[in-house]
Amino acid sequence: MKFWALFKRDVLVSWRKKSNIYQPLVFQLLIVTMFPLGLGAGAQTLAKIAPAVVWILALLSTLITLENIFKDDYEDGSLDIYVLSGMNLPLATLSKATAHWLTTGIPVIIFAPVIGVLMHLPSQSYGVLMLSLLLATPIFSLLGTVGSALIMNIKNGGMLLSVLIMPLLAPVLIFGAGAVLETTLGNSAFGHLMLLLGCSVLSLTLSPLAAAAAIKINLE
Amino acid sequence: MTLTTAQLQINHAQCQRSGERLFAPISLSMNSGELAVIAGPNGSGKTTLLEAIAGLSLLACGSRLYKEVADLNLWLRHSHYLGHKLGNKANLSCAENLQFVAHVNEIEIDIKRIEEVLSNAGLAGYEFQHASDLSAGQKKRLALSRLLLLNKTFWLLDEPFVNLDHAGCDWLYQIIENHINQGGCVILTAHDQKKIHDLANHHITLVSAQEVE
Repeated sequence: MKFWALFKRDVLVSWRKKSNIYQPLVFQLLIVTMFPLGLGAGAQTLAKIAPAVVWILALLSTLITLENIFKDDYEDGSLDIYVLSGMNLPLATLSKATAHWLTTGIPVIIFAPVIGVLMHLPSQSYGVLMLSLLLATPIFSLLGTVGSALIMNIKNGGMLLSVLIMPLLAPVLIFGAGAVLETTLGNSAFGHLMLLLGCSVLSLTLSPLAAAAAIKINLE
Repeated sequence: MTLTTAQLQINHAQCQRSGERLFAPISLSMNSGELAVIAGPNGSGKTTLLEAIAGLSLLACGSRLYKEVADLNLWLRHSHYLGHKLGNKANLSCAENLQFVAHVNEIEIDIKRIEEVLSNAGLAGYEFQHASDLSAGQKKRLALSRLLLLNKTFWLLDEPFVNLDHAGCDWLYQIIENHINQGGCVILTAHDQKKIHDLANHHITLVSAQEVE
């Protein structure tokens, strides 16, 4: 019940705030429109770089939302409330990650085909694009809880957060964009997707523990 | 358990900030129905001490025993800490804020109980107002109303009188007195509240560790 209450509250707060949900999408849309302007090239050039661009945009647009996962709660004091309720902290961070994924990850997955179309991504790649993001967006949220818990008491810690978790997200980008790239070449993306699934499971098992430890360090 | 056994026992507690001990060791033993007031100049570590007692951070040395055991979870179940950061979510309504607090503390409540608590706190009719629309004093009242909602034995309050108007101070004084009379315990930090100092059973004044040495 505790975790459900925390999850429900987080989703409600995000839903009321709205910017949490549409900010990543607007960010993606603005940048993707720059590509044809900057490259000055036709559909073929765009299609070539499409897998990488779609994936990098999904990654970066999620990255800008991660800072607030714990920072808001730390600043308004509601973190104290659930920490002092004797809640199991790793499970609490898992519930935070789930709420973040639902309000940021899902919209990014749904929006990805739009970015794909704007980048002239070949039609056979959309299924794998969405599948790869479905496997990868939970990783963003989970690692985000770790990063956000580490920087929650630092003013303007957003940059530090990016520096901390970007290296951890590099393999995810390689496998994810790789999977989409393989499909554009007409190959199977199975290997890449399996590696993504592996990363998902790894972050699901380890990040709640790391995030809970980070919260404890920051409160002491 | 005999009557002479203290509910809460704090032995030679000290806190530190960036490696330095903040104040000389303090000890406190509280029985049910008692009030302790922590005083000391700004920066003497009142908030740090209260957070450590609450279980939010660790004591640098010393121990906290509740009912003679150092079990943190048992202590958390029977205490509620209210600090400078009030813990209200700005874009949730008063009722939703209280609902969340009740649910994470595993207490079942209905809207009637919430209305009752809010009207007791002088916030009748504000159930569906977002916490961000309240004044500073009303936000404080909303946070304080959690004490009534959760009804735990130990209340740990950091500067609870700040931001409250005269009526608010009287109300808070009243609920603290009621709580004590019902066998609850209150530890709070305060500056110029003569009334609350008069009511207190324990006075703790923090002196800096260097001065003592």
